[in-house]
Amino acid sequence: MVRHVDTPLNRWWRAPVPAPPETLRRGPFRPGRFGSALRSVRLTSLLGIALGVAFGVCFVTGLISHLVQHPPGWFWWPSRPAGLYRFNQGVHVATGLATVPLLGAKLWSVYPRLFAWPPVRSIAHAAERASVGVLVAAALFQLVSGVLNVSRWYAPMRFYFPAAHYWVAWLVVGAMLVHIGVQLPVVRTALARHVPVPEREGLSRRGLLGAVGAAAGLITLTTVGQTVRPLSRLAVLAPRLPHVGPQGLPVNATATGAGVAGLVRDPSYRLVVTGPRGQVGLDLAALAALPQHTAELPIACVEGWSASGRWTGVRLRDLVALVETDPDRATVLVESLQTGGRYRSATVPPEHIRDPLTLVALRLGGEPLHPDHGYPARLIAPNRPGVLQTKWIGRITVQGAR
Amino acid sequence: MLVTAGILIMGYAVAGAAADPDVAPAGVLSFLAGVLLVHDLVWMPAVLAVGAVITRLVAPRRRPVVIAATISAAAVTVVALPLVLGFGRPADNPSALPSPYGWNLALVLLAVVAVAALARWRGPAGRKNSERPGGEVPGAGGE
Repeated sequence: MVRHVDTPLNRWWRAPVPAPPETLRRGPFRPGRFGSALRSVRLTSLLGIALGVAFGVCFVTGLISHLVQHPPGWFWWPSRPAGLYRFNQGVHVATGLATVPLLGAKLWSVYPRLFAWPPVRSIAHAAERASVGVLVAAALFQLVSGVLNVSRWYAPMRFYFPAAHYWVAWLVVGAMLVHIGVQLPVVRTALARHVPVPEREGLSRRGLLGAVGAAAGLITLTTVGQTVRPLSRLAVLAPRLPHVGPQGLPVNATATGAGVAGLVRDPSYRLVVTGPRGQVGLDLAALAALPQHTAELPIACVEGWSASGRWTGVRLRDLVALVETDPDRATVLVESLQTGGRYRSATVPPEHIRDPLTLVALRLGGEPLHPDHGYPARLIAPNRPGVLQTKWIGRITVQGAR
Repeated sequence: MLVTAGILIMGYAVAGAAADPDVAPAGVLSFLAGVLLVHDLVWMPAVLAVGAVITRLVAPRRRPVVIAATISAAAVTVVALPLVLGFGRPADNPSALPSPYGWNLALVLLAVVAVAALARWRGPAGRKNSERPGGEVPGAGGE
């Protein structure tokens, strides 16, 4: 709510500014230019509430994903339930995709206001219009960049997507709160009194809301199978299919793309484990000689797809115990054979090391790992985003009790 | 209250983005401006033009179904277009973008048309029916 207090600043803020000459009122600025009787404050309010909820879901799930990948000191992320991150990211991407028709309808419903006359009534009005401009641009930014990212089309985005998507999300939330603060009285009034819809031909308000819901449903139905496996046959427009890839599992970074295709075949390969009690180098035979365990765990990509595999290998905790007296309190840095790249290493916190499902996997579905799945050894842990499940592990450094 | 909190959060977003070395401000700002301009000056006029064509060509009692089908078709096309164009398909990774998206989108659009035709054929049996044109689309009203 905006309070009206009579101060000189407030008077200046709300003082009318001169309107531009009427002769400039042309094209879409002409009165009655937008004909649809379907537009109403009530329709816009209902769409706005739905959009607020959708963006809220995307923001919370996106924030969780960001914190998991860049954990600040106060943040704690459990290793169970094993599929929590998968669920979080599935909801994030599915909600974002389903929001496309919702945002489209909302912006259609308010489009005539872009051509309001006079364009600016006061400094306050100009500021409010500017904040709406920021909100619309930021909301479009989030959906368009999200769609481009899941379809891996990076060329139109001259920025690093995760960082930009994250900060613009805050911009959306801020601008949305301003917008709600300004419009809440209008929404309350519009929803409080029920104005009967005048009988007329064409689409009704309920019809439009139903159509938007149907469009969102159709998008969900044709894409959500990329993470909900029973629906994968319907996922004809999904960027991934959970059963398509080497060994029946999709991959994000390939061995060739990561520049390790030659390195992983090197017969002198050793997994080097370093810790307070010393250092060991384990070749494939030595790794295979350690107690082997099998876990059914998903690869859950930040891009919203996920797929489960049956992984077999050595418990990370067992490797840590080789070089650390207190493996239950250790933190570990896992490094790939890659020489560069943002995700060449990852930190594993104690709660994941303690989890018996956390493996340095050597096999997938009973077979040695495909190079694209991280041969000779990869990390697979419950409730972790795919980018942190380091592949082609070359070195494990135990950083000791935290 | 909400307005103040919103302004503070927007300030946090700008300051955070400015301090983040991974954010390329010029790229982000031009993309923000780009999506806004394309939406307001290209997309929305095109939507209004399509609406005007429907109003001119389609009989009023059939209009709800046609508009609802157009909304679904437009929404699903927007989401699928980058996949259909396939610029993001990496040469070395057949598991990314594995489907024939052009065909699949055509199939989905055909299904939308079929459902709309079915609804038109069944209707317009009174207002109730024409009020829920998307009712036959799987997943209608959900999400």
